Amino acid sequence: MEITLTHYLVLAAAIFLTGMVGFIVRRNALVMLMCVELMLSSVNIVFAAFSRVHGNEGGHVFVLMNFAVAAAEAAIGLALLVEIYRRRRTIDVDDLKALME
Amino acid sequence: MEAFLFWFCGILMFLGGLMTVTQRNAVVSAVWLIFAFVAAAGIFALLSAPFLAIMQILVYAGAIMVLFLFVIMMLQGPVMEDERRSPNKVWLVFAALPAAAILVTIISWIRSDGARSLGPAVAEGFGTAEAVSRLLLGRYLLAFELISIVLLVGIIGALALGKGERKLPWK
Repeated sequence: MEITLTHYLVLAAAIFLTGMVGFIVRRNALVMLMCVELMLSSVNIVFAAFSRVHGNEGGHVFVLMNFAVAAAEAAIGLALLVEIYRRRRTIDVDDLKALME
Repeated sequence: MEAFLFWFCGILMFLGGLMTVTQRNAVVSAVWLIFAFVAAAGIFALLSAPFLAIMQILVYAGAIMVLFLFVIMMLQGPVMEDERRSPNKVWLVFAALPAAAILVTIISWIRSDGARSLGPAVAEGFGTAEAVSRLLLGRYLLAFELISIVLLVGIIGALALGKGERKLPWK
């Protein structure tokens, strides 16, 4: 069976939605950040797949940009989590509702 | 052979994502996420993007996940989610139903277009470091410079946040 573009797109959609469900369901802020990384990573597959179809490396450049955005997001997000843990002694998002009350 | 590698890497990546979401222990989640990222590198290699495959392992599975594991190590206690609380069943329904609906819609939408083949084999040297960097430092030079500013802001922000209550050196 030939592997077509459709296979790659469906794989990326499935992984993106897994990350989305995880982001909504999980309460541990660390795991929520990991789910965001998973969603970003699935988008990279779509870029690479269309790059391959069109025979143009432009998509690869955007994947590299996405790497940089993911790295910056992880660094800032984790620094925020450490700071929140220092002040509140928890990273459970159900306990972090000071702005809600 | 290509089909076997696609299914192997694809199932491994999906399994890695699924286990990341379902495992209660954050360390176990992180290790499964590393599995998913290494499998993604295999997918990139299949899509004739060798440079991206290497960068995926270096940046994602290497740098970013080491950062995550270091923070888990620093936080020690709260990595396990509170077991006393009942699991969030209501949210699971609210999240899983729309996700399943979206997935079915996307699959039917993609399939209505007919299966598109990946096209003819790519030219020699497609997706190598040389070919990508020619674009990166040529046509996309402005984007390349701007993304370095994003990284710089990220570094400064992480430094300022991570310093905590102590005084920053430039204050």
